[in-house]
Amino acid sequence: MMMQQAVKRQLRRSRDNGGGRAVAVDRRICFLTVSTAALAVLTASLSAQTADSLAIRFSGMTAITGYEQAVTDSLLMLLPGSARDRTGNVTLVLGRGSPRRLVYCSLDEIGYAVGNITDDGYILLRRVGGGVRLYPLFDQQLEGQRVTLFGRKGPVPGVVAVRSTHLTRGRPQRDEPPFTVDNAYVDVGASSRDEVLALGISGLTPVSLTKRPHRYGDRLLAAPNAGRRAACAALASAALSRRRVNGTVVVAFAVQSLYADTAGLKTVVNLQGPFTESRLVTVPSTFLETTVETVGLKDVDALKADIVKWIGGSQ
Amino acid sequence: MILVLAAVLAIQDTSRITEAQSVLSQLVESYGVSGMEAPVRATVQRLLPSWVRTETDTAGNLWVRAGQGEGGGPVVIVAHMDEIGFRVDTINPDGTLGLRNRGGFIQSLFEAKPALIHTGGGDITGIFLPRDTGLTRRTPPPLRVSVGATTRAGAESLGVKLGQTITMPKQYVRLAGTRATGRSFDDRMGCAALILALRRLDRSKLKHAVIFLFSTREEIGLEGAAAAARQLGTTTRRVHAIDTFVSADSPLELQNFAVAKLGAGAVARALDNSSITPPAYVDSLAEIARARGIALQIGTTNGGNDGSTFVPFGVVDVPLGWPLRYSHSPVEVVDLKDLVSLADIVRAVAEDW
Repeated sequence: MMMQQAVKRQLRRSRDNGGGRAVAVDRRICFLTVSTAALAVLTASLSAQTADSLAIRFSGMTAITGYEQAVTDSLLMLLPGSARDRTGNVTLVLGRGSPRRLVYCSLDEIGYAVGNITDDGYILLRRVGGGVRLYPLFDQQLEGQRVTLFGRKGPVPGVVAVRSTHLTRGRPQRDEPPFTVDNAYVDVGASSRDEVLALGISGLTPVSLTKRPHRYGDRLLAAPNAGRRAACAALASAALSRRRVNGTVVVAFAVQSLYADTAGLKTVVNLQGPFTESRLVTVPSTFLETTVETVGLKDVDALKADIVKWIGGSQ
Repeated sequence: MILVLAAVLAIQDTSRITEAQSVLSQLVESYGVSGMEAPVRATVQRLLPSWVRTETDTAGNLWVRAGQGEGGGPVVIVAHMDEIGFRVDTINPDGTLGLRNRGGFIQSLFEAKPALIHTGGGDITGIFLPRDTGLTRRTPPPLRVSVGATTRAGAESLGVKLGQTITMPKQYVRLAGTRATGRSFDDRMGCAALILALRRLDRSKLKHAVIFLFSTREEIGLEGAAAAARQLGTTTRRVHAIDTFVSADSPLELQNFAVAKLGAGAVARALDNSSITPPAYVDSLAEIARARGIALQIGTTNGGNDGSTFVPFGVVDVPLGWPLRYSHSPVEVVDLKDLVSLADIVRAVAEDW
């Protein structure tokens, strides 16, 4: 009961934050740690939420490609009747008969995993996802910023080390190449490897920039992967709207779109297809692959309305 | 008995850390770019003990006077309230904001991050724009901020004005053990140390009048302290700047100097870019720390300190600090044990020296 009350309080706070300044994503509400009871409350509240409030909430979540399970756990609770396949995709089947169509969003994101831990308690990283076309400053966005490590005992805050301004004087700076993940030392406040392990962090622990969705201007939302998350929010909101369905529509939240040759989507098609039509939903975004990737919440509302129509058989 | 004593000490330690964190977190989560320190000043005033009477001078410095002592000039203990950031320098025709730095820092740490424009009536949200594609060196071109407007009039209609200050959102976050991270520990740790020392100060013990000074505009040239130094002239008996000891306790730093471990206590900042403490004074300081059982490290680092503005008036500057990792970044890291140690040494130099 206490947890339910805590989540209700947090939901209220989250709604209050919706129209204002930075929407802090508190460790306490991280979807990666929300209990079953709390998620039941979350589900009950979902129907009352708009697509844009879901977009803000989804933008605060982390789903590193291949490590999406915690987020898909949440989606399973959020979408009654949904199921997860062995690859990790969450799907919800609406309607029945033909035509059989697919509508999906890509859930995952490029992130990091713990690669090594030094004797003096620093954590080293490897990137997960992102090929040669990756934004060349992608890793640099980590430098001197807060990160969250999703350890076995829950999320752990950390920071990525950066040289002290006062101690860089006299060293060349202007034409230095960008910071890369090879230079990333994560500091969680530990002084030894054992202290790090005691926090529940070990090799392969997923790591991402700490998400703090940020609203500005006229219903603009800035966050890492805001475009993908906003599209998934519109899709979830449309699926929950319980409008008319033309034939069968499989709603899919696809994992591993950034790895293993889009393994997630191919799995959905092979397990639940064939489909007469398939549609990837997207929201236009600016500053792609940056920490301030920006979407217009008006576009999220419009996408939701469009998906509802599409599910009903209208173009 | 030893076990009981150890348990009591542990409880005391915990309460000291808890108090230190309570003071520090409120200071860190107040915004005060150089020249716009009012929110920090208000937080300091709220956290001071009830006996304290404050005065604010025309430079914005907050003065707390304690004791009369045996007469003569005062000892000044100074920490600065301001933090690095930006000022709105231009509002461009496309609605973006051109910025001027307030203090020195690594520009790329702010690129493509959320922004807050501080106004008298609340904050306006925006973003530090990512650079245009194609520039793949580490350092970005001059940063601009978008508040989502596409015209100058649009930005102004949101309340943006020239001269307002800009930062990114910040939060005090506890790390493992007694470590914590946030932005502007430089110099909210110093402010916290003064507040914590004042809360425990035994005014009957003061040998001299002591001025606890919360100064302004340190990051843009020690301006607030310079005004106070001019006002006091040659009467000041001694000055202690309480400011960051930028530490090389990091895998990214050279180890030729600035060596002070986090968690090993306050640091005598005996040699920096603005002042040199006479060796006899360093020895006296070490003796005071030893007598009270206060952890104290002695070292040399980079940076200037407010106390140096008093030196031309014939005043000896004995600056004190604490080890800080990742200075002037959004993720400065400190150890709360060092704050307790720093508060204790501030109290000791006020009462015993």
